[in-house]
Amino acid sequence: MAKEVKDLLRDPKILVGMILFPALIYPLMGAAMSISTGSVIETASANMTIYMIDDDGGPLASTLKEFFRGGNFTVEAVEGDPASMAASLHGGDVLIHVPSGFSENITAYRRADIGIFVNFKEFSIVEFIKAGRAEGIVRIFEGAITNALISNAFPNAKAEDILNPVKIDYNSVIRGEAQPINPEVLQNTMRLQGAMGPIVILLVLILAMQVAATSIAVEKEAKTLETLLTIPVSRLSILFSKLIGSFTIAFLASVATVLSFSYYFTTVLGTAAVDQGLDLSVLGIGPSSTGFIVLGATLFGALLSALALALTLGTLAQDVRGAQSLVGVLMVPVIMPMFFIMFGDMSSLPAALQTALYLIPFTYPMLASQALFTGNYGTVFVGLAYMAAFTFVTLYLAAKVFSSERIMTARLSFRLGRIKR
Amino acid sequence: MEYVVRLKDLVKDYGGRKALDGITMQIEEGEIFGLIGPNGAGKTTTLRIISTIIKPTAGQALVCGIDVLKAPNEVRKLISYLPDEAGAYPNLSGEEYLKLMASFYFESGKGIGEALEEGRKISGLGERLKEKSSTYSRGMKRRLQLARTLMVKPKLAILDEPTSGLDVTHAYHLRNVIREYARTHSTTILLSSHNMLEVEHLCDRVSFINEGKLVESGSPQELKSRYGARNLEEAFMKVVGVA
Ligand SMILES: Nc1ncnc2c1ncn2[C@@H]1O[C@H](COP(=O)(O)OP(=O)(O)OP(=O)(O)O)[C@@H](O)[C@H]1O
Ligand SMILES: [Mg+2]
Repeated sequence: MAKEVKDLLRDPKILVGMILFPALIYPLMGAAMSISTGSVIETASANMTIYMIDDDGGPLASTLKEFFRGGNFTVEAVEGDPASMAASLHGGDVLIHVPSGFSENITAYRRADIGIFVNFKEFSIVEFIKAGRAEGIVRIFEGAITNALISNAFPNAKAEDILNPVKIDYNSVIRGEAQPINPEVLQNTMRLQGAMGPIVILLVLILAMQVAATSIAVEKEAKTLETLLTIPVSRLSILFSKLIGSFTIAFLASVATVLSFSYYFTTVLGTAAVDQGLDLSVLGIGPSSTGFIVLGATLFGALLSALALALTLGTLAQDVRGAQSLVGVLMVPVIMPMFFIMFGDMSSLPAALQTALYLIPFTYPMLASQALFTGNYGTVFVGLAYMAAFTFVTLYLAAKVFSSERIMTARLSFRLGRIKR
Repeated sequence: MEYVVRLKDLVKDYGGRKALDGITMQIEEGEIFGLIGPNGAGKTTTLRIISTIIKPTAGQALVCGIDVLKAPNEVRKLISYLPDEAGAYPNLSGEEYLKLMASFYFESGKGIGEALEEGRKISGLGERLKEKSSTYSRGMKRRLQLARTLMVKPKLAILDEPTSGLDVTHAYHLRNVIREYARTHSTTILLSSHNMLEVEHLCDRVSFINEGKLVESGSPQELKSRYGARNLEEAFMKVVGVA
């Protein structure tokens, strides 16, 4: 009935929580990410001052200074005790201490010490990046020295071959095709892309359950239920109008979520993946539009199951508070699959746990958001059928409760964990 | 002739506690019938069974010959029920609420419009009907509910303690509305009360109910003379054997 939907849409909690929030969260996250990425990139390439205490005064200390200048650093010579000197600098400033004997040790084939002092004030990403940049220059300098030393000792060999006599050719076989990709890079890219899906799915599910679980309790509390049960409208139509009300909200929420999620994927994460030199869609494991449709379908299926379940159980609650604590209980089976799937791998779990997870309808949207990359849609399709059956059975139970007097007289007590009549 | 309400050996057992223990009675068309008894006597339980909200454990309840268990949807078309505690949707104005409820009984805009007009009249709330029902006083809420119950012109109006908890003016208004309405529309009214004096003035016929059993029935006049009582209160006390 239109009344239900209008009534729900008039509720600002629902509008913001279920539609606006999922629609905006990904673009906002994207914006936040690109802003901070932007400032990071800026830090990484901007001119930076490095402070140097040169107690060596030898030729290699001068070479090191040249390396820094070449890396867009301004080298400022300072004097004194390196630790106390560094303490007087700004956050993120780096001080290099070249001890006496530095040049002499290197030319005599002895390992030479060099001190790097980083002043951390905020422990921000910028401070860490500055420290990393300074160390990077020292490493380049070290590499040059190494090459020079090796060329001196083995004039006929390439320094590179001596340093890394074994070269690994990585191949990741993806969907039957070998690709020259380091598995570690692949993992990083996929984790970055896969992590955010389940969290918003979780939020939408919980909000939808809140709406459905409290829909009858609200009528009980407003003392409108008793009248509602005597009007010339069949109990089934009352049940379905309650469902349609929650479904409409939930449907809008899933559409908002999926659109926003795919936007986030294709724009923000797309560029992030390209930065890593890895474009998943070129490899055939990028999320396809079919993948998003399947994700949407499982999300919708899970929502239907969640709503049917929450509505049925919520009917038995005495008041809104009771219905809300019921949602608290129902959150457990919603969160469980998320944890196991986000931090583990279905196939590596014990069989009993796997079975339990497959019996929870909320597992399937999580699997579908993984299938975006794995292409493993078999289980997801079975899951869609299962969710349909689950929803059907739950709705059948709901219809039973609705046409019985239990809708009026049930007292669901969670502390005792049993239903009193 | 067919009775509007007919109860046969009605029993309601709430998990071991017998709330109704064999109620048999009938109400004729156009009667204002009062079910009176103390707290916990079983009044609400009886009315809820007739209103298809709860189901009897044993016995039969018929509304215009239709069994409430067999065809509850048919019964719901004939009745209109005012629960002892009833509320409106707090986000709606009184008028929106009446319109919404009327739309469940009438398909045509005309039918809804007429019911709404009737509801406006019955409530006597005037301009306050435009305000949200959550701003109403207890008496106004009850007026709105009575208007909602009667505006749909039911064959049988079931009123559970229509005036309890109201001050004299609101109670007086409600009683007048009920009496007037029954007269002009020849609607059958079944109401419950534990206010015996109110019932004496309002009802054509009454039944005393005590501990789930009907203990006496008749017109207020008959009952008073049968027990040599000055009023129904005294008659009731004599029936249950206290006085
Ligand atoms: N849902 C229920 N579960 C268990 N017992 C109930 C339930 N509803 C009513 N009862 C019991 O049934 C008996 C009759 O209750 P009922 O509400 O019909 O009385 P009543 O005559 O309407 O009383 P009152 O004047 O207080 O409204 C009481 O003993 C009551 O405790
Ligand atoms: Mg009562």
